[in-house]
Amino acid sequence: MNYFLHLGIYACIYSIVAMSLNLAVGYCGLLTLAHAGYFAIGAYTYALVSVKLGWGFLPAVGLGMAIASVASLAVSMSAWRFKGDFFVMLSLAVQSLLFSLFYNWFKADADFGTWANLTNGPFGIAGIPKPNIFGLQFQTIGSIALLAAVLAIACGAICWLLVSSPWGRLLKAMRDDELVARGLGKNTRFVKMQVMAIACAMAALAGAIYAGYVSYIDPSAATLNESILFVCMILVGGVGNFKGPLVGAVLLIALPEVLRFVAIPDAIAANVRLGIYGLCLVAIAHFRQQGIAGEYRIE
Amino acid sequence: MLQILANGIITGGIIAVMALAFTVVYLPTRIFYIALGGVYAIVPFLAWTGLQWGWAWYVAVAFALVIGVMLSLGCELLNHAWLEEKNASSGTHLVSSLGIYIIVVQAIAIIWGNETKVLRQGVDGVFNLAGVTLTQAQVGGAAIALLTIGSFYLWLQSTKLGLEFRALADNKNELALRGFSIQKLRLVAFGIAGLLSSIAALLVSWDVGFDPQGGLAALLLAVVASIIGGSQSFFGAVLGGILLGILRSQVVWFLSAQWSEAASFAILALFLVLRPQGLLGQKLRLESES
Repeated sequence: MNYFLHLGIYACIYSIVAMSLNLAVGYCGLLTLAHAGYFAIGAYTYALVSVKLGWGFLPAVGLGMAIASVASLAVSMSAWRFKGDFFVMLSLAVQSLLFSLFYNWFKADADFGTWANLTNGPFGIAGIPKPNIFGLQFQTIGSIALLAAVLAIACGAICWLLVSSPWGRLLKAMRDDELVARGLGKNTRFVKMQVMAIACAMAALAGAIYAGYVSYIDPSAATLNESILFVCMILVGGVGNFKGPLVGAVLLIALPEVLRFVAIPDAIAANVRLGIYGLCLVAIAHFRQQGIAGEYRIE
Repeated sequence: MLQILANGIITGGIIAVMALAFTVVYLPTRIFYIALGGVYAIVPFLAWTGLQWGWAWYVAVAFALVIGVMLSLGCELLNHAWLEEKNASSGTHLVSSLGIYIIVVQAIAIIWGNETKVLRQGVDGVFNLAGVTLTQAQVGGAAIALLTIGSFYLWLQSTKLGLEFRALADNKNELALRGFSIQKLRLVAFGIAGLLSSIAALLVSWDVGFDPQGGLAALLLAVVASIIGGSQSFFGAVLGGILLGILRSQVVWFLSAQWSEAASFAILALFLVLRPQGLLGQKLRLESES
C-alpha cells in the first residue's frame, strides 16, 4: 500500500509540474528548460524557512511561489525578444545560473541558512520537517498523499479555469501568431510575464511538496537533466490541451515501475529508464508530433 | 597572467573545433544538432576500448574517429533526412536529436559504466616557454586544433565541394534549383560535424579525462561560442570559441571552477540582448531571419 501511495505522491508532484510547463510550452510555444530551477527554488525556500524559522507549510509555500514568480521575469523577459532555438538557449542560461547559485552559495565553516552559506552547496539540506498546516501535522505517508492530491487537484482546477477563459484563448492566439495578437491591441509582453509567473509559481509549489515529502534537497534537483525530464514528460504526453501533460506525467511515473517486473539488473535500471525516455522522444518526433494526447505541435 | 591567457587560448581552440562542428550542421540545415554531444561522448570510450585491446594508439584513434563519423551519418540517414522529407519543424528536429543524445549516453553508461576515465597513462611531460608552463597534452591539443581548423578552411575556400557547401549555407533552395544534390551535401555536413566533434572529444579526453555525461556541456559551450562569434559565418564560431576559452580560464582563476558554466551563459545572455547577431554577424532583414 505504501508503495502505491509513494507512487501517487510522485504522480501528483509531476502532474503539477507538467501542467505548469504546459502553460508555457503548450499555450505560449515557449520551450523552457529552466523549470527545474524554479522547482528547486520552491524546494529550497520551503526547506530553509521551515528548518531555520519554523514556518508552517502554507506561508513557506507562499513565500517560495512569490520568489519563483519574481524570478520568472528572467525567463519571460527573454521571451519578449526571442523565439525558437534562441529562447531555448536563454532559458538554459537561466537554468545554469540558478543551478550555480544553489551549488555555490556555500561556505564550509558557516552554518547553513546564514547569509554566507544559504544553500549548503553540494551537501544539500537534510531533516526538512514534514508539512504542517495550522498545527495539523502531515506525518504519515497517507496524509502527505492526501495533501499532494488536494494541491494537485487545486492546480488542475486553476489551470482548467485559466485555459478555458478568454485569457486562455489570448494565449493560444499569441502562440499561433504573435503579430496578429499585438495588432489587435493585446499586450503580449505582459501576457508572457503573467504566464511565466503562474507556471514558475506552480513549479515551486511542486518543489515544496517534494522537499516536504523526501525531507532532503540538494542541487541535483535543479540540474539540466531534471529539466529535460520535465520537458520529456510533456512532449510524450502532449501539450496544448488539459489532458496531455497528465497522461505524460502518469506514463513517465508508471514506465519505470513496469520495468521492475522485467528482469533488469538494478545497476543499469536507471540507465534503461532514461534510454526509454530518449526512445519515446524519437518516436514522438517521427510518428506523433503532438504527443500521445496533445493538440499542439512544437514549432 | 600570461599563463592564464595561454591556458585559455588552448581550451578555446578545442571549444572552437566543437563550435565549428555544430555550425557546420546548423548553418546549412538549421538543425539544432544535440546528438553531436552523443558523438562527443562515445568517441573517447571507443578509443579507450581499442587501447584496452592492445591496439596501437593510432589504430585506436582511427577506429574511434570512423565510428564517430558513422554515428553522425546515421543520425542524418535514419533520423533527420526522414524528418526533413516530412517537412518537420525545427522543434521536432531538436526533440528527436535530444532523444538520440539521451539514448547514446545511456548506452555508454550501460556498456562502460559511469566513472570518469583517462586516456593517457602516467604523468604528462611539461614544456617551459618564456615563463609559461604547458603540458604535452596542451601543446599537442593546440597544434591539432589549429591544424583541424586550418584544413577545414582550406577545404571550404578552395575546393569545389567547399564552394557548393557555402552555397548550401547561403541559399538552399537556389542551389537545389541549379541541380545540386542537397541530400549529398547534407551528408557531407553531418560527416564533417562528426569528424570535428570526435577530434575535439579526443583532445579533451587526452588532456583531462572523460565520462558519459560530458557531451551536453561541451555541445552547449560550442553553441554559446557560435552565437557569440556570429552564427551566420563559419569563422565566427572559431573566434567565439577562443574568446569563450579565455573568458572561462579567467573565471576559473579569479572566482572558482564551479562558476565557469554560469559565466559562459551570462555572456551568452549579454550577447543575445545587446548584439544578437554575434561579433561577426550582420543584421538580416526580418523575413530572412529564422
